[in-house]
Amino acid sequence: MNLRDLGAGVWERSNRPVRVAIVLVTLFLICLLPYAGGTFLATPVAAFDSVLVYPIAMFVLMSLGLNIVVGKSGMLDLGYVAFFAIGAYTMALLGTHTGLNTWEIMPIGIGLSMLAGVLLGLPTLRLRGDYLAIVTLGFGEIVRIVALNSESTGGPNGIANVPMPPNILGQEYNIFNQKLFFWTTLVMILLVIWLVRRLSVRRPGRAWEAIRQDEDAAELMGVPTLRYKIWSFTLGAAIGGAAGVLFASKNLFIAPEMFTLNVSILILSCIVFGGIGNIWGVIVGAVILGYLPDRIRFLSDARLLVFGVVLVVTMNFRPDGLLPRKKREKALPVKVKSGVES
Amino acid sequence: MTTPILELKNLTMQFGGVVALNEVNIKVMPQEILALIGPNGAGKTTVFNVITGVYQATSGDVLFEGGSVAGKSRHEITKGGIARTFQNIRLWGDMTALENVITATDVHKKSGVIGALFGLPRARREEKANRAKAHEILEFIGIDEYSDRLAKNLPYGVQRRLEIARAMGTSPRLILLDEPAAGFNPAEKVELANTIKKIRDAGYTVLLIEHDMSLIMGISDRVVVLDFGQKIADDLPSVVQNDSRVIEAYLGVPDDAS
Repeated sequence: MNLRDLGAGVWERSNRPVRVAIVLVTLFLICLLPYAGGTFLATPVAAFDSVLVYPIAMFVLMSLGLNIVVGKSGMLDLGYVAFFAIGAYTMALLGTHTGLNTWEIMPIGIGLSMLAGVLLGLPTLRLRGDYLAIVTLGFGEIVRIVALNSESTGGPNGIANVPMPPNILGQEYNIFNQKLFFWTTLVMILLVIWLVRRLSVRRPGRAWEAIRQDEDAAELMGVPTLRYKIWSFTLGAAIGGAAGVLFASKNLFIAPEMFTLNVSILILSCIVFGGIGNIWGVIVGAVILGYLPDRIRFLSDARLLVFGVVLVVTMNFRPDGLLPRKKREKALPVKVKSGVES
Repeated sequence: MTTPILELKNLTMQFGGVVALNEVNIKVMPQEILALIGPNGAGKTTVFNVITGVYQATSGDVLFEGGSVAGKSRHEITKGGIARTFQNIRLWGDMTALENVITATDVHKKSGVIGALFGLPRARREEKANRAKAHEILEFIGIDEYSDRLAKNLPYGVQRRLEIARAMGTSPRLILLDEPAAGFNPAEKVELANTIKKIRDAGYTVLLIEHDMSLIMGISDRVVVLDFGQKIADDLPSVVQNDSRVIEAYLGVPDDAS
């Protein structure tokens, strides 16, 4: 059985009203998730609504961002956490030193992450494959170490008392009741899904796809490869930055140890686990890898071992991920050209 | 006399100590089919690679419609009106045939990421026009029925023709075909010959690398022969066919003749 084809099949057979209904019902159920804390879904140690925001929803957001870089354009980025950190530190610094609130800082955080993306991308995106992976890995570490050693970022102590977002529609953001954070992240995820789907079927998506499959052929067929690689990198950075801003504002406290290489690898794992290049697969992967470690927390020390075994076993049975990318062909009867045989 | 659309002037290409092309002069006239032939390693594909900007010539110049291509990036050269196919097929396998061609047509698009994101009217218009144009090209090459199939799943012959279609997608004035008939059976070669003539008659100029002599003699307006990076003949197919130096280059010199 193939989950992806099953889902796509249902979707393709439905007409427009049915599709709208499917989307609305699914969204409604997802919105209700924070109320499911009392059910079998509950996480034993951490509060369920908090786990829903971070890691689950934030992982989904970041995976979707990194998927543009790794899945769509085929560039291996091992330093994605850097953009998350830049967003988070922008929020923390501006939030504690100026009177700006989260929503005012959000565009600044996104802008700075994008700027970092362009500055890193311009010289390094001429590299390919392993070389790019090493450079981005280094960049991720540089950002963390700068934060660790710099006075203004509080060094290893990090920054505390990051302000919460202001009330929205009369609802209050609350550390003990994180439903509103979940819904906010959900809105951001929906925005990103819209963005990715939109770009995928147009020129940028085709350019990325061509670059991923054969970069030289793409360049020779007139695709400005460097420009589109930088766009891909920068859009990924923007999403990472946005996630960072929201994370700092939710967590109230950030420190360098939250932005280690592990986060980059974990986000990359979400993508590979779920199905690289397929946004639905990526979402499923991020949800599972975000949720699982907290769900099995009762195993205490053995939990990372179990987590690892699950990863290895799954990848063995489904090497392309849970919901792999596969373009579906319409099964057209192709008639043999009669002229060839004559 | 008309001016050539493409002119190679004293073109030399060295890789370390190896001279791949030595002072080669070739003129390609508008709307002709010029065949570039020669034994393996003669430098034919190197000529293509210099023209399309993959290599920078060691010395000499490549003039396209009077302007030098030296120092231009590869996608700029393509945008400027030169397109090519590859000796070993290099389609984007996970895209459909149609998408392969549309991606090539994107080269002349004005809108990029921003336009696509916000669905600006210009981006929408261009998107629609390019789709129609891609279908037109596939129809012209005769493979439109395959437009929704993934390139990697297409039969070999269709892939080869899709390469030509993709090159035409960039709206070139000069098309470089690198061994388009490789691996074709005789019937397919006849069909390909007709297609290439049709392309020329549609107003394109074709520069062709090919090993199949019957194909070349049948369709070329002129033949240039390269051997060890040197031009040894440049004439009508019938004349080149009987040129003693060309026969020598292909068959070697008998021992007692030297």
